[in-house]
Amino acid sequence: MMLLPCPWCGPRNATEFRYVGEAGPRPDPGSATPEEWRRYLYMHANPCGPVRETWYHRAGCRRYLAVERDTATNEVFSVTDSASGAAR
Amino acid sequence: MSDRTPPLARGPVAVDPGVVRDGWEVDARVATGPLTLSDESPLAKVHVRAPFDGASPAALGVGFGRAARADLGTGDVLVVGSGPGEWLVLGAPNTAGALRAAIEERLAGTGEFTTVLDLTHGRALLRLTGRDAATVLAAVCAIDLSDTVTPDGTALRSSLAAVVTDLVRDDQDQTASYLLHVERSSGQYLADALLDAGAPSRLEITGFRGLS
Amino acid sequence: MSLLPLSRGTRGTRAIPDSARLGPQPGEVIDRGRSVPFTWNGAAHSAHPGDTIASALAAAGVRVFSRSYKYHRPRGLLTADYLDPGAFLQVGDEPNVRGAHRLVEPGMEVSSQNTWPSLRFDVKAVNQLAGRFLATGFYYKTFIKPEPLWPLYEKVLRRFVHAGTITPEVGAAYYDHRYAHPDVVVAGGGPAGMAAALAAARGGASVMLVEENHHLGGHLRYGDTADLAALAELRAQVAGQPGIEVLTDSVVTGRFDDNWIPVVQRGLPGVTERLIKARAKTLIVAPGLIERPYVFAGNDLPGVMLSTAVRRLINLYAVKPGQRAVVLTANPDGDAAVADLARAGVEIAAVLDPRRGDGVRAAHGHGGLRAVETGTGQRIEADLLVTATGWTAPTSLLNQSGDRPIYDPAAARFLPDPRRMPDNVLAAGGIVGDGTTAQLVEHAEAVGREAARRATSGPTPVSVPELKPAAHPELFSAGTGGFVDFCEDVSAKDITTAVAEGYDSVELVKRYTTVTMGPTQGKLETVNAVALVAAATGKSIAETGTTTWRPVYSPVTLGALAGRPHEPVRHSPMQPWHQRHGATPLVAGQWIRPEHYGDPAAEVRAVRGGVGIIDVTPIGKLDLQGPDVPQLLNLLYVNKWSKLPIGRVRYGVMCAEDGVVLDDGVTGRLGEHHYLMSTTSSGAATVWEWVENWLQTAHPDWRVHVTPVTTAYASINIAGPRSRDLLSRLTDVDLSSDGFGYMNVRRGTVAGVAECVLWRIGFTGELSYEIHVPASYGLHVWEQLMASGADLGVAPFGVEAQRILRLEKGHVIVGQDTDGLTQGFTAGLDGLIKLDKTDFVGLPELRWQHQRDEHPHLVGLRPLDGSVVPPEASQILDRSGGIAGRVTSSRMSPTLGRAIGLAQIDRDLAAVGTHVTVRLPDGRDITAEITDAVHVDPEGERQRV
Repeated sequence: MMLLPCPWCGPRNATEFRYVGEAGPRPDPGSATPEEWRRYLYMHANPCGPVRETWYHRAGCRRYLAVERDTATNEVFSVTDSASGAAR
Repeated sequence: MSDRTPPLARGPVAVDPGVVRDGWEVDARVATGPLTLSDESPLAKVHVRAPFDGASPAALGVGFGRAARADLGTGDVLVVGSGPGEWLVLGAPNTAGALRAAIEERLAGTGEFTTVLDLTHGRALLRLTGRDAATVLAAVCAIDLSDTVTPDGTALRSSLAAVVTDLVRDDQDQTASYLLHVERSSGQYLADALLDAGAPSRLEITGFRGLS
Repeated sequence: MSLLPLSRGTRGTRAIPDSARLGPQPGEVIDRGRSVPFTWNGAAHSAHPGDTIASALAAAGVRVFSRSYKYHRPRGLLTADYLDPGAFLQVGDEPNVRGAHRLVEPGMEVSSQNTWPSLRFDVKAVNQLAGRFLATGFYYKTFIKPEPLWPLYEKVLRRFVHAGTITPEVGAAYYDHRYAHPDVVVAGGGPAGMAAALAAARGGASVMLVEENHHLGGHLRYGDTADLAALAELRAQVAGQPGIEVLTDSVVTGRFDDNWIPVVQRGLPGVTERLIKARAKTLIVAPGLIERPYVFAGNDLPGVMLSTAVRRLINLYAVKPGQRAVVLTANPDGDAAVADLARAGVEIAAVLDPRRGDGVRAAHGHGGLRAVETGTGQRIEADLLVTATGWTAPTSLLNQSGDRPIYDPAAARFLPDPRRMPDNVLAAGGIVGDGTTAQLVEHAEAVGREAARRATSGPTPVSVPELKPAAHPELFSAGTGGFVDFCEDVSAKDITTAVAEGYDSVELVKRYTTVTMGPTQGKLETVNAVALVAAATGKSIAETGTTTWRPVYSPVTLGALAGRPHEPVRHSPMQPWHQRHGATPLVAGQWIRPEHYGDPAAEVRAVRGGVGIIDVTPIGKLDLQGPDVPQLLNLLYVNKWSKLPIGRVRYGVMCAEDGVVLDDGVTGRLGEHHYLMSTTSSGAATVWEWVENWLQTAHPDWRVHVTPVTTAYASINIAGPRSRDLLSRLTDVDLSSDGFGYMNVRRGTVAGVAECVLWRIGFTGELSYEIHVPASYGLHVWEQLMASGADLGVAPFGVEAQRILRLEKGHVIVGQDTDGLTQGFTAGLDGLIKLDKTDFVGLPELRWQHQRDEHPHLVGLRPLDGSVVPPEASQILDRSGGIAGRVTSSRMSPTLGRAIGLAQIDRDLAAVGTHVTVRLPDGRDITAEITDAVHVDPEGERQRV
């Protein structure tokens, strides 16, 4: 099981986290076309390689984390707090 | 409005048998062995939210990941840095109101956006004490509890027997002791899981001990 | 054929004597001073403590231990250790016990597997005669068509391939789990593993040393006197070294990301097995080498053994493995076996040395070895053929770490590729190279020091001396047939046939023939299979490569994986009362709730006619504080929240970004910047995480603190026309219609308990108060309500009565009347959804749903025959017989005395008064009428009094 280096709690088992998904911007709900909105809802790049994603440390600090990870190797490049940008 | 039976407070873990102390029904058992589990839920539990990087950590005395004894004006309390921008303050039974007021007053000086909430009744608090306490926890918790990684005064949150738990290492008389803080409805389950994991080490229930 | 009883005629009380037991051996592990009784196929036997089942039976002269998997050929010992494919046995109710590893315990009942009706006469051995019809893929090719008959074939075939029997009873076995955090895990407790562990511990690391056998020592255990002396020295050092945890009879079953290393530990007192989940900083892989069988005609006859097998039998267990032996030896270990055999009094008929050009062509015999045919065609009478033709490096854990071992033809084995080893994995011992014990120890000590350095982030890398593999002739197959995989009964011919049929890669051959898929998982057979595929395809072994070595390293019991299950359950503070009063428990997520107290219909009537109380503690509750709470509520709910006055509560619905209904509940404003939000019971955790998600990732600047307080309060709903009478007896809060109107919130004292929150809301459709009591006092308040309301006929009601009450009132349950596709307007929220808000979660999808105006509707439903309650999820048919909707809720209404329901249905059938056809699960069709969703008190007069 991979370890995810939580910026608050240190390295923790991945089972402590909920995988939220690939990180992406929310379109403007006032002007988004159905195509744009559904790309936001359903279309994910799912690359075999580096990806920016969101994880939630539900059994730890309970913070949402911005993670840069390589899905092929599970190498984690960076983990920061989504709200404060805090990292360590 | 009636004036019958005075309210009786009960902890989340079943007592066998019980005895009433300070308006709380607590377990009357007294353990004889060195490894014990007690329900410390009657302790006042005040929850604090404030910016993690502002003046509040200094006002409360500890930051995330540590726990320390203090007196905020209501007597001996344990201040726990339970999360980023999140604290848990434990005090003697039936002092939550005063404790909450004291903390609010202390934080008011920071001018920061803070919330102080009495969660005495919303959380279960167990204490596991003994030389083999870490061995018992190793059956239910993936955290390295060795002295170098998790020394006395450490506060962390992780999963214990699949329940999210605040774990505070709060040694007593040089003996390893852990406070385990979970939402109330899981208290009985967690106590049962610990008693099961601790059976080979002869873990015993003992009555409410209090903070000191 | 007749069903003979097992071992007829051999049953007796006197143990069979140890006819093959030798005199004391210097390295023996048995305690001759004591005896342990056990039975083998019903016959009494005796072992010494330290004996494995197989060694005890071999000492008694037993040669045949099992019948093979497919052809039911008699099989004897091959390796005499954990891997032995001939010694999978049944012990009591436990199948597939490794008989050459498991120690005899007093009273063990051991029997052979795959033998019906008996070991000596096996009717299924006719498969052997028909062997040529059971060629590669036989079962698949023969039985796959006609397809409809496959279940029948399967049933018959399963009788032929079963392996042991399991009991359907739940045993008393105890399986343990624990976590561990050693700096260094050493997989393998031979001389290299021990030396590496010692050096790592001396370097300051905490070490877990894991050995598959019952004792540390590896091949030294069955070596000569110099080996035994070296072993004694290493064992003494390990025993005296702090910081090493030694686990014997244990196995590292895999290596996962970031050195997550599961270890199965056996042989503990009171514990059947323990799964240790170790997170190690450094892993040292030191499993030694596994002796490789040689492939030739008759190589599975009882009496054909590996050189390490006979050395184990003689030196560890003092068992004479045969009377007259032929030894095929291509290496010093085989030569040492010749010496051991001679010392044990075995007549050496011939020593054949491939290094001098000798060979073996075939083994002959029926039920056991009778003669060996040499490479030159000479026939030598013998009951024992010992082969020493090379080694397999068990590189599994390295492969699982990302390494791709390289084939070295000069050494005739695969070796780790140091360039591809991750930093936190090292290798030591025979898997790396060969040498004297001193050389192996010197290399391993350096590896151990380096492992400790990496674990503790030491500065200077340790220089590790080279450990070169010794030269060894490439010996895989004599080219005369024989078995490659003894577990799966895969022959050399099966492999070449598979290649000829076009399965020309080793991975395809594996899947087609099942070679390497048996319990030994390729440790004995992979390299031979690769060599045969290489020969058949004309490629080199290096080009052919190996199959993938995946976790687990060796088979694991389900019990070890399951361990002690941790399935949290949650209880309300009133649970003891519910149990005392006969509540039927309902498992709702993690919560245990009262479904009813005997008669849910009576509970409904009590509420409609008087007053009832229900424990609704699991309702999710979030404490919201801060000046930006209204902004948050406006974002999360589809309706508007800016102008909620203090003291009021409002109903709200949340949708997800796809417009699908997520949750609902009421939120009350307790103070200027203080709100209490309620959610559904099942949605409590989800909504909390969802709220935090919006706050932390989208609006970190908003000043809101969210605290879950679900179980901070014991929640009790007091419902019915007499609820005001009851509550007024226990509270100082003004309950009058003017003082505390519908959809208001108050705080006050109830039954002497301060700081209670009271909501006047009505899920049941009756006058009702939902009181939230500081949880420690929940049982006190509940008991006071029951006592105070006795004269009012107060009755407890459960979840089932509440479901009926709300259905009568037409209130939707999210997740019951909605599903993962139900968007807001389908759920009948037309009046609630405010499309003129600039933003809320799900707004665009709801706007488009409204514009399309073609969505299904949520409607009331009444079967014309009011006595028929259509089961929930019954389909509603359109006029052409297609599916037009479904019944989402359905109950017999005690209030109306007839069946009522809610349904989702296509819009053109949704008009009130429409008659529709409902198809019941039993195929019957009934007619029902579409009605308003509210079945009882549509004007809401009962709850506004």
